[in-house]
Amino acid sequence: MPTSRSSRSGSADHRGRSAWIRRFAPLGALVCLACVRGGDDRGRILVVAIDSDPGHLNPGITTSGGTHTAAELLYNGLVELDPLDLSPVPELAERWTVDDEGRRYTFYLREDVRWHDGEPFSAHDVVYSFTEVLLRFHARTRASLGAASPEIVALDEHTVEFRFSDPYAPLLQQLNVTEAPILPRHLYEGTDPLRNPVNFAPVGTGPFRFVSSRSDEELRYAANRAYFKEGLPELDAVIYRVIPDPGSQVLALEAGEVDWLFAVPGPDIERVARLPNLEILRSPIGPGGSNCVTTIGFNLDAAPLDDRRLREAIWHALDRDAFLERVLFGGGRVARAPIASGIPFAHHDGLELPRHDRARARALLAEIGWVAEGDGRRVARGVAGTADGTSLSLSFHHFPSQSAYAELVRAQLASVGIEIRLVTLEPPVFVEVVFRERDFDTAIVSYCNGTDPEIGVRRQYDSAMIGPVPFSNTAGYSNAAVDSLFHRAGTTVDPGERTRLYRQIQEIVARDLPYVWLVESLNARAHRTRCSGFGPSGHFAETARCEG
Amino acid sequence: MKVGYVGRRLLQVVPTVLGILLVGFALVHIAPGDPVLALAGEHGDAEYYEFMRDRFGLDEALPARTLTYLSRVLRGDLGVSYVQGRPVRDVIAARVPATLLLTGTALVLSTLVGLLLGALAARQPHGGRDAVITMATLGLFAAPVFWIGQLAIVVAAFHLGWFPVQGMRSAVESAAGLPATLDVLHHLALPAFVLASQEVAAVSRLTRQGLLTELGSPHVRTARAKGLSETRVLVRHALRRALLPVVTVVGSRVGHLLAGTVVVEVVFAWPGLGRLLITSVQARDMPIILGTFFLVAISVVVANLLTDLAYRAIDPRIRYE
Repeated sequence: MPTSRSSRSGSADHRGRSAWIRRFAPLGALVCLACVRGGDDRGRILVVAIDSDPGHLNPGITTSGGTHTAAELLYNGLVELDPLDLSPVPELAERWTVDDEGRRYTFYLREDVRWHDGEPFSAHDVVYSFTEVLLRFHARTRASLGAASPEIVALDEHTVEFRFSDPYAPLLQQLNVTEAPILPRHLYEGTDPLRNPVNFAPVGTGPFRFVSSRSDEELRYAANRAYFKEGLPELDAVIYRVIPDPGSQVLALEAGEVDWLFAVPGPDIERVARLPNLEILRSPIGPGGSNCVTTIGFNLDAAPLDDRRLREAIWHALDRDAFLERVLFGGGRVARAPIASGIPFAHHDGLELPRHDRARARALLAEIGWVAEGDGRRVARGVAGTADGTSLSLSFHHFPSQSAYAELVRAQLASVGIEIRLVTLEPPVFVEVVFRERDFDTAIVSYCNGTDPEIGVRRQYDSAMIGPVPFSNTAGYSNAAVDSLFHRAGTTVDPGERTRLYRQIQEIVARDLPYVWLVESLNARAHRTRCSGFGPSGHFAETARCEG
Repeated sequence: MKVGYVGRRLLQVVPTVLGILLVGFALVHIAPGDPVLALAGEHGDAEYYEFMRDRFGLDEALPARTLTYLSRVLRGDLGVSYVQGRPVRDVIAARVPATLLLTGTALVLSTLVGLLLGALAARQPHGGRDAVITMATLGLFAAPVFWIGQLAIVVAAFHLGWFPVQGMRSAVESAAGLPATLDVLHHLALPAFVLASQEVAAVSRLTRQGLLTELGSPHVRTARAKGLSETRVLVRHALRRALLPVVTVVGSRVGHLLAGTVVVEVVFAWPGLGRLLITSVQARDMPIILGTFFLVAISVVVANLLTDLAYRAIDPRIRYE
């Protein structure tokens, strides 16, 4: 190196310093050749951050949040759902009719739709997508629609009919791009949909088409100029950047390297909202599903939680407002009923749920026989089904991402003498312990209710859904009346009758208290103000614009 | 003779790597957790999960699966990722360049900076400069790498704006050629420095210690008596012999760097193997986890072999029989 030679002369001190400067000067210069900030100079290109590589981009074979977040822009459903009241809006289907009290649905498809590769879209694509892919591999659609075993036939090139033996109510809520994306039959037929290479270079009908991807780094989509919705999309391209660390995501947004985040971490929301060129959007739709209610499930299989009074005491001991403020940082609302308020026709708005009242909690505990000892802990003295002297200590199983909920539950229950032992488990282990082995006292689950109670509520209460299925009936709740009400609500198309049945269900479970319905969480999305016009659904960028 | 030695060492690589793979396979399968969830997503019914488990052979007994897996590996087939449905070889190969670039740069950087700091410290042992260097390098060594990484992002990338916050390339790409290369280097600088910072301490401490020993020895006194400059004495006569223990740590640091890169890749959104490993562990994507084990095992074993061979080049007195 030339620098080391020139440093041979001069005093020892001097030599060291000048050598340092000379050694690092070229490096600094090199680095600063590229010293221009990315900034807001991308024009009509939207850059969004996602937290992991989605793997494949086929939303028809999985309900994984990663794949759906990344891939829904490429596809369409038969209908889209109105974000306000969840009513179906035409998408691939122009119009539809419902006959025989909900036993026969006929969809009339648009005739001007083409796949990204130029092939025309037809009724055969719809039939193929349902019978060969969605009803076999899409977990939610298979479990709900599949159970009703519909017969799906193409009447002609542009008409599809769904026939059921019993009336089937929720169909129109299950046909959007999240629950039932339509795939190209000409690229999938005769292949194994799980292994088809098209999953990595997808072809859809959606507002954007796939261009390229770099593993764990980025996905690039370009506008579909032949999109069937007039004048859309307004963007030229969407680029997904994989940024796993939530803190780095926020910094990248602030620095202008990305324009859109799907989720801002709670502690950052307030600060981000105050920044001049950033804006926060609240939405009940998240990557894992929509209308999510954070819920604590009691294991009803055995003592002591099979006692309703103990469950009520825990309800009284919990201050649910504190969860809204300290865990969600205001991003949501306290749950007022078992069914989320985002499904307005089913949500019960007049329920009495146990209020926060520590004195009442203590009195109830003493009444059952859980007596406070000197140090405030409670021990069994004549509790049915529990040996005398047993201390009141319950396990609380949770994901690492839910530790803020867990700590708060522990602190609040400690104040009435209930000890909580926190058990932190990665999702695959949580599923095994809680749903298969049922080896827990309490467990926290975010139940995404979806767009119809048939999709995301029934599994929580139906006695046929007790283990081993992940995120099913955590509590192990079994009530024949509730089972039959759910069955009736699912096979009735009359909206007024469905409302009445779901209200009845909620009144019963609010008496039985198999769960604590804590809070309804809203997703905090954020974007730079140079971009606007975002939609709330999986097609968030369909209507978006970016300037500058 | 030397060829025989290298051949013998290479033969030992096979049972070592197979052993590591066997232990890895057992560990991964004993650990609780069901990959079917990551595979299929939530909200399915029981029948559906059975169907998926069956499709991916998750229901076979452990010994049978172990045998199937090992015999496949011996034939060069690492299997297919559960989650991505792509051959493990392709998935891993796509990540190797990024990790190689990051760890390779960090290895070179930490070695050069470590040697430099060690030499600077040895020139005036127990002086002020020595104390500052010792404290700084040990401080960096002791600090958790994710913290150093986040600090570096907040200060150097976010507030000073010298570097990008995340990624390996800009989102809106520079054209090919020199601008694209500079773009990658610009993204590389910060994570490479952070990863290297952990490793500087070992090299600089060893260099300093070795130099101090050498500087007191007769051949250095002779060199000085010949009237050579201090730098020349240091570099030509003392450093060469002091390098031997340094080379030893360079070899063993390959494993260390690969461990550190897991964290650095997450913090800097660097698309390498470390992140692949983390997401695969979270999803229980066993074929990918084992494939990564396999690759890391091979590289650490080979790095150690290369280290042993490097001894000979540095010190001709060493012979391998």
